[in-house]
Amino acid sequence: MQPIQLFELASKQSHWLTVRQTVVAGNIANANTPGYAVREVSAFEAVLDQTQPQVRMAATQPGHIQEDPMRGAVRSQSFGDVDVQPSGNSVNLPEEMSKTGEIKRMYELNTGMVKAFHRMMLLTVRR
Amino acid sequence: MPVDPLSLASRIASSGLNVQETRMRILSENLANAQSTGNTPGEDAYRRKTISFSWELDRATGSTRAEIAKIDNDPGEFVIEYDPGNPAADNNGMVKLPNVNVLVELADMREANRSYEANLQTVKQTRELVSMTIELLRSSQ
Repeated sequence: MQPIQLFELASKQSHWLTVRQTVVAGNIANANTPGYAVREVSAFEAVLDQTQPQVRMAATQPGHIQEDPMRGAVRSQSFGDVDVQPSGNSVNLPEEMSKTGEIKRMYELNTGMVKAFHRMMLLTVRR
Repeated sequence: MPVDPLSLASRIASSGLNVQETRMRILSENLANAQSTGNTPGEDAYRRKTISFSWELDRATGSTRAEIAKIDNDPGEFVIEYDPGNPAADNNGMVKLPNVNVLVELADMREANRSYEANLQTVKQTRELVSMTIELLRSSQ
């Protein structure tokens, strides 16, 4: 029997989405901060290829901060002069709002898929 | 354990709310004191307050929180008006009025409002994501 990889993939995607939500929240919170450059997370495909074989710092004690594997994917973006306000801020509020909408839609799809798959598995087990 | 990105997201959004709230407070102080002169002859009037923001990068979580950099006084010139009956009038009958421009304050207030709404929307959105995750635990029939 083949191993079922959907759950792992789904949890990775939901993690990516939550990290993206954090980044967008940071952008919105800093919409009026002078000199702040917009940040964005790399595309999911790129992150997926990257996260598996990676050397990370070990957390051997409860006080150690464990590194989030998704963290390296966050970058600040640079734009041409057109999109940057005179204060050096490059946050575009409507764009960030549409990003949060997109994140929500994708998250809904993600949890929906997990739910459906779970239901299918339960159905098999019950018979 | 790494910090949950969703709780981090709502914390960042609340830092944004906090900053805009303080900005609103400063703006209302300016508006309330738009006509506040001194009490003794020739005394300085109310000086307009300004607020500036900065961001704080948290290395452990890679998040950028918004915070207040400085609350300062606007060094701009006072508006001088001829009003000999005023207790703050000097020997020539001139009174120093605050360097507050109501129009500028109101425009700023609009922007603060807009940013506040955007942050509030983020909090709501994040909460929905959390409840969608919790919803997974509910037994589906």
